[in-house]
Amino acid sequence: MNKQISLAHSVGLGFLGLACFIGLWHGLATSGLVPAVFLPSPVDVYDRFSTLLERRFAGATLPGHLAASFQRFAYGFVLAALIGIPLGLLMGWYQVLDEIVSPLFDALRFVAPIAWVPFAALWFGTGIGGPIMIIFAGAFPPCVINAYRGAKFVDPRLIEAANMLGTPSHRVIREVLLPSSVPSIISGLRVSAGLGWQSLVGAELIVASAGVGYMMVQGQANVSTTTVMAGMVAIGLVGLALDSALRLIERIIQRRRGLDQ
Amino acid sequence: MGVIQFQDVGKIFGPKTSGFKALQDINLEIRDKEFVAIVGPSGCGKTTCLRMVAGLDNPTAGVVSVDGTPIKRPGPDRAVVFQQFALFPWKTVYDNIDVGLRNLNVARREREARIADILNLMNLTQYAGHFPHQLSGGMQQRVAIARAYVLDPDVLLMDEPFGALDAQTRVVMQEELVRLARKNPRTVLFITHAVEEAVYLADRVAIMPRAPGRIKEVRDIAAIRNAENWDSHEKIEDVMDLESFVHLRTHIWRSLREEKAAQHA
Amino acid sequence: MPRRVLIGFVTILVVCILWYGMTTGLGIIPSGRFPSPAETWSALIHVSGRGYGGGDLAIHVYTSLRLVVLGFLFAIATGVPLGLLMGWSRRAEAFINPIFLIIRPIPPLAWIPLAILWLGLGDAAKMMVIWFSAFVPSVINTYAGVRNIDRPVLEAAYMLGMPKARFVTEVLVPGASPMMFTGLRLSLQASWTTLVAAELVGAFYGIGRVLNVAQQDLYPGMILVGMIAVAILGWSTTKALGMAEQRALRWNTAALAARG
Repeated sequence: MNKQISLAHSVGLGFLGLACFIGLWHGLATSGLVPAVFLPSPVDVYDRFSTLLERRFAGATLPGHLAASFQRFAYGFVLAALIGIPLGLLMGWYQVLDEIVSPLFDALRFVAPIAWVPFAALWFGTGIGGPIMIIFAGAFPPCVINAYRGAKFVDPRLIEAANMLGTPSHRVIREVLLPSSVPSIISGLRVSAGLGWQSLVGAELIVASAGVGYMMVQGQANVSTTTVMAGMVAIGLVGLALDSALRLIERIIQRRRGLDQ
Repeated sequence: MGVIQFQDVGKIFGPKTSGFKALQDINLEIRDKEFVAIVGPSGCGKTTCLRMVAGLDNPTAGVVSVDGTPIKRPGPDRAVVFQQFALFPWKTVYDNIDVGLRNLNVARREREARIADILNLMNLTQYAGHFPHQLSGGMQQRVAIARAYVLDPDVLLMDEPFGALDAQTRVVMQEELVRLARKNPRTVLFITHAVEEAVYLADRVAIMPRAPGRIKEVRDIAAIRNAENWDSHEKIEDVMDLESFVHLRTHIWRSLREEKAAQHA
Repeated sequence: MPRRVLIGFVTILVVCILWYGMTTGLGIIPSGRFPSPAETWSALIHVSGRGYGGGDLAIHVYTSLRLVVLGFLFAIATGVPLGLLMGWSRRAEAFINPIFLIIRPIPPLAWIPLAILWLGLGDAAKMMVIWFSAFVPSVINTYAGVRNIDRPVLEAAYMLGMPKARFVTEVLVPGASPMMFTGLRLSLQASWTTLVAAELVGAFYGIGRVLNVAQQDLYPGMILVGMIAVAILGWSTTKALGMAEQRALRWNTAALAARG
C-alpha cells in the first residue's frame, strides 16, 4: 500500500476535506451563480433546521414528523424481525421448509420494496398501515437471509459435541443452534434497519400525510429547498444513530464471542 | 555483476530513540555469483535484511548497495521470491512470468523464447495456461522462482521460499534449486530458519541470533562442499548423511543456541 | 439437486392454484384487493397492446431499463476510479472519507425531492438519484477491495518494476475486482429501488409510472403486472451482471472450484 501517514496528518487532511466541501458549497451558494432558491448555503439550511424544530410545517414540527416516521419504522421493523428471524432459523434447521420457501422468496426478492407501494396503499391505506408494509418489505429479506445463514452454517462439530454429550434435541436448539446464530442475526438486523429506514423515506415521499418524507415532498412542492435539505439532514442523523446503536450491539456480541481480531 | 554490500547497517522500527531495534551493525559482502544464506530464528531481522536489498524497506543507519549503488527503490534487477509466493492470482502461469519481462520492455519474440526456456527448465510447460490457485503450493513456488529467474537479475533474493511447503515438497524444491543454482549461478541472498537448508544450499552461511539482529559469524561452506564433493550426490539425504555436513550443521546449531542460552541467563 | 427443483416446482404450482382458487374459484379475495390470474392477463394485454399510463409496455420497459443502465454505468465510471484512488492513497482517503461519512447516512431515496427541485420530472433527475445510489456502494467496495489485496502481491508488483498505468490496470483493478463486483451488485439493486421510487414520485414513462397510475385508478391487475415487470427486469440485469462477474473472475472461480 501507499505510504502510511501520521494520525495528525490524517485528521488534518480530513478537516481540510470537509472545509473544502462546505466551503465550495457555501461559495457556490453565495456567489450568485446558482439561484439561492435552488442551492441555499449551509447557513440557510442550518437556520431552517432550527426553525423547523419549533415551527410547524406541513402539519407538524420537525421532531413531530420524525416521531411519526419513527413510529412507523419501529412497527415495520419489529414486525419484520418477529416474522423474519424465526422463519429464517426454521429454514436453516429444517431442509423441507427451506426447499418450500426458497423459490417463493427468490421470486419475491427481485421486487424492489418500493414497488409494493401501490398494493400497500390499496390494502392498508396511506395512514400508518401502508408505510408499515413498505418498511416491512424492505426490512424482511435481510432478517430472513441472515437468520437462515446463521442457522445453516453452525459449526457441525458443535452439534456433534452436543449430541455426543447426550443433549436432547430441544436443548440443542436452545443451547447450541440459537446462540451460534446470534452474530449473524444481529448483522442482519443492522442491514435490515438501514433498508427499512430507507424504504420508509421512500414510502413517505409517495404516500403519507405526515412524517419527514412527507415534509420534504411539501417542501419540494413549495420550492423550499432549505426544507428539503433540512429533511435530508434529519433523515441522515436518525439513520446514523440507528446504525451506530446496532453496530455497537454487534460489536459487543462479537467481542464476547471472541470473533473480532 | 551483482555484488551486495551491507555497511554498518541498522534498522529501527518506530521512533528513533524508543522504537524496536531490529538490526544493528550489519556488515556483509556477498560476492558476484555467490550463494549466501542468512539463518536465524523468526523475528531476528533476517527478512528485513533481504527487504532492504530489495528496496522494500530502508535502513535507518548505514548503506545497503548493489554494485556500489545505494538502493532506493524496488526493481526487476533484484528479483524476489516471497515466502507467500505472491503470484498474481488473476494471471495465468505464463502471464505471471511474462509481467517482469514486459516491464523491462523486452521484445515479444524474445519474451516468448525466454519464457518457453524457463517453463521447460522448471517443468512447468504443461501448466502455462493454469491459474495459480489451480496449482499446489510447490508448483506455485516453482512459478515464482521462474518469474524471478526469467528476468536474468543481477541479484536473486529468496525469503524463506520453501517455508510454506510441506516437508516432502520442500526437499524436492531444494534439490531442484541446487541444480538450478549450480548450472546457472547468480548472486543469491537466501533467508531461512532451517539450518540444514542453509548448509545444503549456500556457499556461505551467516548466523543471525535474535534481536537486535547482528551477524554473529559467517561460515564458509563452499570450500568443504567442493573438498568433500557433495554435489556428486544427487539426493539431499545422502548429503545430509555425510560427516562433513553433520559437522557443519551441528556447529551452526550450537552457535545459534549458545546465543539464546546467553540471553536467557 | 432434483429433489430441490421438484419441491420448488410443486410449491410454485400450489401457489398458482391457491391464487386461482382464492380469487376466481372461491372468491375469498375480492378482485378490488388482489387480481385474479385472468385479470392480470388482461391487464398485461391492455398495457402491451393499447398502452397504459401514456405508452405501451415496451416504452415503459425501455425507459426504465435505459435509465438504470445509464445511471449505473455512469456511477461505475465515476465511483470505481474514486474507490481505487482512496484505496491506493492514504492521503486521498484521509481527505475524502469524512465527506463520505456525512453524506452516506442520507438514503439515496431522500435525494429524490432535491433532484426534482433541481432537475424537474424528466430523465436528468432520475439519472442523478440513480447515479447517487449506485455511486456510494461502488466507491466503498472498490476501496475496500484495494485494501484487501495481499501485501506480498503488491510488493511483487513493485519488485517487478511495474509502470504506474500497468499497475492500475493489471494489479489494482483485478485485485479489487471480487469486492468491486459485490459492490456493483448492491449498486444495481439500489439503482432499481431508486428508479422505481423516483418514477412513482413523478414520471412520464416507466414502470414506476405504470404502478403510479394503476394505484390511482385502483387497478390491481395492472399493479401486479408492474411489479412482475420490475422483478423480471431486476432479475435479468442481475443475471447479466453475474455473467460479467463470472467472466471477469474466472481466476477466482477456479480457486473456489479447486478448494471444493
